[in-house]
Amino acid sequence: MDLNTMIPELLSALPLTLAIMFVALIVGFCLALIATTFRVRRVPVISQLADLYVSYARSVPVVLQLFVAFYGLPLLVSLFGVEDFLSATIAAMVGLSLYHGGYLSEVMRPAYLAVDRGQHDAADSLGYTFRQKVTRIVGPQAVYIALPGYGNSIIYLIHNVALVMYIGAADVMATAHLVMERDYNQYQFETYVVLAVIYSLLCLIAWLIVRFFELRSSKFAPKAAAPAKITIMASV
Amino acid sequence: MFDIDVLLPDLWSILGAVPVTLAMALTIFVFATIIGSLFALIEHRRVPVLRELVVAYKVAFKGVPMVVVIFLAYYGLPPALQFLASLVGVKFNAHATPNWVILIVALTACVAAFQAEIVKGALNSFDTGQADAAHSLGYKSSQLFRRILLPQVIVAAIPDLANSFMVIMKALSLGFAIEVVDIFAQAQLTAALNFYYLEAFVIAVVIYMVIAYIVTHIADRTERALRVRT
Repeated sequence: MDLNTMIPELLSALPLTLAIMFVALIVGFCLALIATTFRVRRVPVISQLADLYVSYARSVPVVLQLFVAFYGLPLLVSLFGVEDFLSATIAAMVGLSLYHGGYLSEVMRPAYLAVDRGQHDAADSLGYTFRQKVTRIVGPQAVYIALPGYGNSIIYLIHNVALVMYIGAADVMATAHLVMERDYNQYQFETYVVLAVIYSLLCLIAWLIVRFFELRSSKFAPKAAAPAKITIMASV
Repeated sequence: MFDIDVLLPDLWSILGAVPVTLAMALTIFVFATIIGSLFALIEHRRVPVLRELVVAYKVAFKGVPMVVVIFLAYYGLPPALQFLASLVGVKFNAHATPNWVILIVALTACVAAFQAEIVKGALNSFDTGQADAAHSLGYKSSQLFRRILLPQVIVAAIPDLANSFMVIMKALSLGFAIEVVDIFAQAQLTAALNFYYLEAFVIAVVIYMVIAYIVTHIADRTERALRVRT
């Protein structure tokens, strides 16, 4: 095994992993905002649909969600009569965005509800609209509460990007499999140790970035209030 | 493209894997909770060297994806066991270890780190004034633990424990990479026989969501039944 050639080869697949991750981050964030809005405002039918979506994203394994996206998207596209243009990478992006949106919604909603009840009431009594209330009063306080949970959800998103290899996207894991097979599967354990180090470093970087914002946003911390309870739970 | 007729036979085929999955999940849950409680106790009591080791363990298992841990166990565990056995001088073929044992060991190692976090949170929610009261009433430490601490801590931890059970159920789906058949793997096998992939996966999605619903429902009811009304 030659680490000097293996590590650059593994890192050459990193841009795809990061691309899938960032697409899922951004699209998932938007999805989570929409789902959370509907869930806290209780619009009759749409709220139930949002609830169903969140429980789908949270109770179904990510591998299965990826496979559903991989086999379901062509069907969906053909219903609209569009030519099938989808690749494994796009299916991975869609699947992970859906997963991340649902998971993040379950971080945002408790944070929104954890903001002191009096703040909600004060904003309502002053005649703020929902959007004004969220952007000016509840939002900044909820950000402080939600940040640790958000950091966790990013870390689990990085973990779950490792699963896109199963639907055939050429990410770091898939490249590692190629490298192992070229060496006649002699150094499997060692290659996985290298992978573990790479993913740990990615998670460490993500955690440090979130930590930086956490320290900055502590000025929005409510005075003398008990810290909100965050459940740190894995998500596969 | 979506064929309704195969849904029912697929459902029966995939349901066959549910008992095995639940049994494996329960095994992992029990082992992981025991190990996690030990870790939490070490942190709670502030045992000097062990405490740093536990923190390092948690950091390591939080940063590495479970797939990688499973593959590491798959390739690393049998040689390690073989080496240990030869060290003690026992004749034992560790390379014949069944894959489901490896999966259970790997997932227990992963989930124990999270269970430790849950138990620690529950221990921290315990009011120390009650411990002082118990000591002033002449309770021994074992009595304090059994009569006062444990009943409250367990109730406080129920929602998180139900959550972690679902995480284990979902994590078992990664076992198909090392040929352990659970609900997801069974869906793949069923689909491979008749080529109706989406249908089999939709059935698997429904099964997972129903199980999640039942687990949270049971957890809610137990919590409501056990919580002391104040």
